[in-house]
Amino acid sequence: MKNKIKYLYVIGAVLFSGCSQHNGALYNYEDYSDDYYAMKKNMSEESSLELQKSIELSIQNSQNSRSKRVPPGMYANLGYIYLKSSRPKEAVSYFIKEKSTYPESAYFMDRMINKIGAMQKDVK
Amino acid sequence: MINIKLIRTIILGLSAFVFFGCAGVQNPPTKASMFPKMYEEQPRSILILPPMNESTDAEAKDYYMTTVEVPFAMMGYYTFPVEMVSDIMKQEGVYDTELLYNMPLDKFYEYFGADSVLFTRIKKWDVAYVVIASSLTVAIEARLFSTKTSQELWQYSGTIVVNLSGGDSGGSLAGLIANAIGTAINTASADYVRYARLVNINMASTLPAGPYHEAYMQDQVTTVVHQRMRQ
Repeated sequence: MKNKIKYLYVIGAVLFSGCSQHNGALYNYEDYSDDYYAMKKNMSEESSLELQKSIELSIQNSQNSRSKRVPPGMYANLGYIYLKSSRPKEAVSYFIKEKSTYPESAYFMDRMINKIGAMQKDVK
Repeated sequence: MINIKLIRTIILGLSAFVFFGCAGVQNPPTKASMFPKMYEEQPRSILILPPMNESTDAEAKDYYMTTVEVPFAMMGYYTFPVEMVSDIMKQEGVYDTELLYNMPLDKFYEYFGADSVLFTRIKKWDVAYVVIASSLTVAIEARLFSTKTSQELWQYSGTIVVNLSGGDSGGSLAGLIANAIGTAINTASADYVRYARLVNINMASTLPAGPYHEAYMQDQVTTVVHQRMRQ
């Protein structure tokens, strides 16, 4: 009986590690690619909103992936959407998130954050 | 009984051929032998530039651009957000691809902090109608350059040819015309995009894995198999 349970554990472990290693993609992009294409094909408020939705979903559901990380560029994309709709505070917070998830983006994100800072000074 | 034995022997023989057949004839190139500079430089990030469109379809550029980011990110590299980057390039007045492709590469490091830059050329993005058969072709050439040394780190070309005339035209002229019209209607831009994604996945799979991939710096001996894709 004990042996049988052991076997089950082993099989379970193999199956489990098998899944996490080989099944599933490195990142969960949700419908980002399709919605990005749809937006390019037909620029409208609706298609832009769809794209934003899939970006937000991919951030929300990043756990459903091999890396468990938010895909590269998603925080930045969302930040940029906020920036374009004149919400610089939210934009900066997402640019900071991109930077802390991917240090490779730090240089670019800092440039964006500085730009926003300069813009706000101009306004004042 | 005999049948099962026979089938077993055939399967065994076939699998032996699959396993040893190719290796015996010639050694396929490995990632390390084809792209040694990737392992020397170990770039962590890729800046994807807007594609150069050499095809006859003016829309190809905008559509192809939406397909490049994901497969390269999936190989473990930090890919800069394509739409945002291209917007900013427009604002800086450097969106013109000719201009971008002739820019000194260290500029991309200066502005974005990117380790490498990906140049893509759309060679073909069309449907050819040849008497009874029509086929869709997407052909892409991709090159990755270092922003530090300006050297080419990786390059690959991918082509997919898709036979669109699946149906039987019955040999009659009316059937042929109907078929050609059907194909023209059926070939939406979404089809190109779908096949362009396949080409990208195939091309990106030859790239040595990046720092966010499990195989990072462990895939030197992985062989690069060139696939000519036909569907």
